[in-house]
Amino acid sequence: MSDFSEELIRSKTEDDQEESCVFSGTGMSFPWLQKYIGTVATGGKKEKDFAQTTNACLSFIQEALLKHRWQKAAEFMHSYFQILEDSDSHKRQAAPEIIWKLGSEILFYHPKSNVETFNTFADRMKNIGVMNYLKISLQHALYLLHHGMLEDANRNLSHAETWRYGEKSSSQEVLINLIQAYKGLLQYYTWSKKKMELSTLDEDDYAYNTASQNMLNHSWKTSVNLCALIQTPGVWDPFVKSYVEMLEFYGDQDGAREVLTNYAYDEKFPSNPNAHIYLYNFLKREKAPREKLISVLKILYQIVPSHKLMLEFHRLLRKSEKEDHHKLGLEVLFGVLDFAGCTKNITAWKYLGKYLRQTLVGNHLAWVQEEWNSRKNWWPSFHFSSFWAKSDWKEDKALACEKALVAGILLGKGCRYFRFISKQDDQVLRKKIKRIKKSVKKHSIVNPGL
Amino acid sequence: MDFPSSLRPTLFVTGPLGLSNVPDMSFMCSWRDALTLPESLPENSKNEAPPLATGLLWEPETPGPLPLLPPGPDPWDPGVTAQDLLFRGAFPFRRKPQAVLDVTEQLSRFLWDHGDIAFAPLGKLMLENFKLEGARSRSKKKTVVSVKSLLQDLGGHQPWGCPWAFLSYRQRRFSIVGGPVLGKSVASLLGELLHEELAMRWEQLLLDDAFTGGALAWVPGGTPQVGQLVYPAGGALDTLCFQEVSLPPGGDPQALGDPGHIQLRGPVRQVVTRTVQGESLLAVRSDYHCALWKVSKQGRAAPLQVLQVGKGATGISLSPHLPGELAVCSRSGAVCLWTPQDGLQQVYKDPETLVFCDPSPWRWADFTAHPRVLTVGDRTGVKIIDTQGPPGCGLLLFRGGAEAACRQGERVLLSQYLGECGAEPRLPTLQLICTQFSLYLVDERLPLVPMLKWDHDLPSAPLWAQLLPPPCPGYPQPLLLGGQGGHLQLLHLAGEGASAPRLAGPPQSLPSSSDSLSAFPLLEPKSQWRLQERLKAPTIGLAATIPSSASKPVLSLFQLSAAGDVFHQHLHLQADPGPHSRAPAASWTPQATACCSRWLKALLDVPPTPPVWAAPTFSHRRLLGCMEQRKVEQKGPEGLRAAMAAGRLLRQKDLGSLPSAGPPPAPEPGPEDELSARLEAAWEGRMAAWWERQQGRSSGPGRQPKRRKRRTQLSSTFSSLSGRLDLSDATSPPHSPDRASPEARPRPPVTPPSQELTQELWARGVPSERQQTLRDYMARLPLQEDTPRGVCSPLSGTSSSRATPSRPQTLQDGTAELPPGRNTRRGAAVSSSQTSRQQVLRKKPRMGF
Repeated sequence: MSDFSEELIRSKTEDDQEESCVFSGTGMSFPWLQKYIGTVATGGKKEKDFAQTTNACLSFIQEALLKHRWQKAAEFMHSYFQILEDSDSHKRQAAPEIIWKLGSEILFYHPKSNVETFNTFADRMKNIGVMNYLKISLQHALYLLHHGMLEDANRNLSHAETWRYGEKSSSQEVLINLIQAYKGLLQYYTWSKKKMELSTLDEDDYAYNTASQNMLNHSWKTSVNLCALIQTPGVWDPFVKSYVEMLEFYGDQDGAREVLTNYAYDEKFPSNPNAHIYLYNFLKREKAPREKLISVLKILYQIVPSHKLMLEFHRLLRKSEKEDHHKLGLEVLFGVLDFAGCTKNITAWKYLGKYLRQTLVGNHLAWVQEEWNSRKNWWPSFHFSSFWAKSDWKEDKALACEKALVAGILLGKGCRYFRFISKQDDQVLRKKIKRIKKSVKKHSIVNPGL
Repeated sequence: MDFPSSLRPTLFVTGPLGLSNVPDMSFMCSWRDALTLPESLPENSKNEAPPLATGLLWEPETPGPLPLLPPGPDPWDPGVTAQDLLFRGAFPFRRKPQAVLDVTEQLSRFLWDHGDIAFAPLGKLMLENFKLEGARSRSKKKTVVSVKSLLQDLGGHQPWGCPWAFLSYRQRRFSIVGGPVLGKSVASLLGELLHEELAMRWEQLLLDDAFTGGALAWVPGGTPQVGQLVYPAGGALDTLCFQEVSLPPGGDPQALGDPGHIQLRGPVRQVVTRTVQGESLLAVRSDYHCALWKVSKQGRAAPLQVLQVGKGATGISLSPHLPGELAVCSRSGAVCLWTPQDGLQQVYKDPETLVFCDPSPWRWADFTAHPRVLTVGDRTGVKIIDTQGPPGCGLLLFRGGAEAACRQGERVLLSQYLGECGAEPRLPTLQLICTQFSLYLVDERLPLVPMLKWDHDLPSAPLWAQLLPPPCPGYPQPLLLGGQGGHLQLLHLAGEGASAPRLAGPPQSLPSSSDSLSAFPLLEPKSQWRLQERLKAPTIGLAATIPSSASKPVLSLFQLSAAGDVFHQHLHLQADPGPHSRAPAASWTPQATACCSRWLKALLDVPPTPPVWAAPTFSHRRLLGCMEQRKVEQKGPEGLRAAMAAGRLLRQKDLGSLPSAGPPPAPEPGPEDELSARLEAAWEGRMAAWWERQQGRSSGPGRQPKRRKRRTQLSSTFSSLSGRLDLSDATSPPHSPDRASPEARPRPPVTPPSQELTQELWARGVPSERQQTLRDYMARLPLQEDTPRGVCSPLSGTSSSRATPSRPQTLQDGTAELPPGRNTRRGAAVSSSQTSRQQVLRKKPRMGF
């Protein structure tokens, strides 16, 4: 027998979680390899009956789940618990996670299941093996949250928060931070409910004072809870949003700005468009100077040029005094219309038509040509084909008119889109089409001399 | 475009694959994904999350897919399997099994089967260089063998390989003397090549990425009920077929007329179709060519252009934005934009992989929401590149690493743009990325952080995916995921605009073509095996459509197998079932079984593939001579001799008539035979009752099994749900096919005849209309090794006393009766010598020298 195994197969280092995955020489693992090997092995020490039955049972459960046969799955699950008594310690240790995963799934969808059953199951699973306590607690709390049981969820999270096992590892720390953050979020919910109540109360009322005192307490606790997690790289939209709202309410504008700036600009964080959007909305609420707003949106423009805020960005740029902002304004409009999801955005087309005219009147033909050069080989078939002319006219005449204007300016009056629309005889739009024809004649970049 | 206003909390960790010191936040179940945070904020209260659709289910109308078209005229062979390649001996059972390629076995088999090829060139070479004509000496002539003829023999007939073949003493001696030299040189020359070939075949068996993307496409026709299926056919998959199919509302799809053909020069690997701005285009990828057709409104295809890819093409995709634009990627790592008007434009080239080093030359490219921006993928990750920007720059969209909580050994198998669905795309910026473990949805605007991750756990490589438009307005979009082994999964994707994409309800699995076995009539084992093999053929393409006009949403699903068969299944949306009202499980309709029978008949008419190799034949005339000399009176040997002389199979009538015998006696159960009682109960379906009786008898209070506390505690959680725990039901599920042991699938009662006859149980288990079939079938059974074995070593103790030669058994309709005495067994052995010899051959490889 050749010694192929060493070359072709790189044995995996003892990692107990994925025992069914085997690696090939390329380092890729194949979950289905076990099956192939199973068909060939004829002699030697085979899997024990116990392992065979538990494996079979596991696949029955998975299959029942995928067929939405919750009842059946529950029956099999009943038998699957025997794996907790497996003599193989690796399997025994990996079992609670599998049981939790499948069991919670069954209990979530089972028609006869209810919150109490789920709670019982979760509480028991938490204490089988120490490794899953935090994870299960967190998921349990999320489940309760989903079912609107905020208090129970809070209690659960508080229990989990104080739980420690052995040395505090980094993974434990992150989980505890996450648990605290969710707790903070819960407190925020209470807080915002109180805020609503407060807004109905009279300021001179005695109750008002107590309520506001209460709110203050909550806010303080929440900030402690949320702070730690927000420093960790990740996507923390709901936490950041609620934290900032509370900070703003108590007048800590600088704190809120710092949180948002950090969330948006920290390089360790993924480039989350929402971070920039939150910052922009905050600055807008704060009535920040236009320059500041433009600088925030400029970054958002680089990440998501198709965002709906880009039209607002264009308006800001248009209003700006700087010449390069005006140029950027044109670029932004072209950029929005590049995207497949924005082709029917009538506002964008309207802005573009208007702004093209304005730019050309302002003698900036070069700007238009610069933008157009990279698009002239695909915009005609992407936006201005005769197919779109027909279908736009059929679906949205106003859009067709706006697009016709832009097509005329960019491609000249010989372009198919413009010709089709201008030939249409529509009682209502006759005047508008006439106006379009006129401005195309005047501004078209194809024959600027005429 | 809107961006989701608030994303799901995710930890962002950078690092290599399978980094373990971070909590795996994605150890999620589908329910976790369905969770929503309470929207207590006043500003969010208006965009309330849609209610969780737990009842969302596409119910198949039949238990398995049905064949749509008659089987092709070419026979199909499954090719190399794991059994052929892997070492078959005892392997020490480990937690992590290892695959060991059986090179020795392969090499010795090659030397057996193709000895002429292996040794003839050597013989020729040696002949040229041997100077054997020494001085002629009388004394030496007797002791020295002329090597010349022996060397010539090397390339002639095959003396080696067959232990029964006649070996001359000369050859024997030569093989002993020359064996070490010849064997070694041949083995060392061949071994290396074989090693390489085997490794390649094995990799291919583990993952055959040639068909990534799928070779089946649906081209919608003028009306919603009509369309065309485009797929390759023929043994080499080199004929492109255009089959018009009608989808009558409420009925099964029907093929209209004969398909149109286009003969190509290579196997078709991928067929892509797309209708952009009213223009239907069809792109086809072969190994070294890509071609583009335009499909007219009438459904006729007109060729536009063909492209040759020198290094081999790995993927082709059609632009959803611009008519006639394609992205083609090649093994060299280059990605080109291709338009029939402007030709090729290379937009990216990197022979290295994106994230870390991976040897696979597989590359993939697809489009994004921006018509000038492409995704470029390989096994390690996916990058977005601007075709207009400077070459080489781009942004990683997906990294095989800790960012997406990838496991060790996880690789990208498919990357697909999901935005092109329908005129008004609901998810215009989503990219689907599939690995062997999970499915990721990544938004182009938020690179590296998957919006959704789902562990699909498919038992084969997911190489096909298709997003379908929502069946009704407001419903989630079905996302189909297909594995190479025919496994299908359907996910319900919800979320558009300001809400993040999420799973609406638990994913479901759909029946695969091997689930259709029960629709076919009972067959004799050889045909049954052939049918089973055919149904298990790997899938190479997937197409689905939801005809929009149907009042009740129906999903038509087509699957192309490597054998060239197109299967279809029909699913209807179970709108909102109450928690308890579940529609009865689908069953076979008479039309469906009739359709299957017709298909099967056509399949069995196709001659099976000629075997790649047949055992070497040798003359039996010499043996005939030996027989002649012996004086024989009995009729049996006489018949045997006649059959041998004619070179035909030995049949019953050659051996003379037999004394007729009555039906086999029924077994007499012993007084306290627990096993037979249990078996009987099981046959009659009263296993549970038997078990209870048994329990009551044997388990006293002291014999209660000890169970740990936690187990009983957990069990109680579930027992309240399962209500009853029917033992017989739990141990033998009627619906779920046995995944653990595919051989134990519900097969027609084809047990060895001896067993059936002695026990008479088959008559009880088999419906009466099938008893005759079974009887006929058994009557036609040639005298295979089963029969003599059954006689010699009966299966149960009770029948052994009955099956002695003194009271011979008879098969019911007696054409293949066994004669008494030893001669019979000898006769039977001769008739089956062909098969048994082959078995011996396989078991004991022996080199010729």
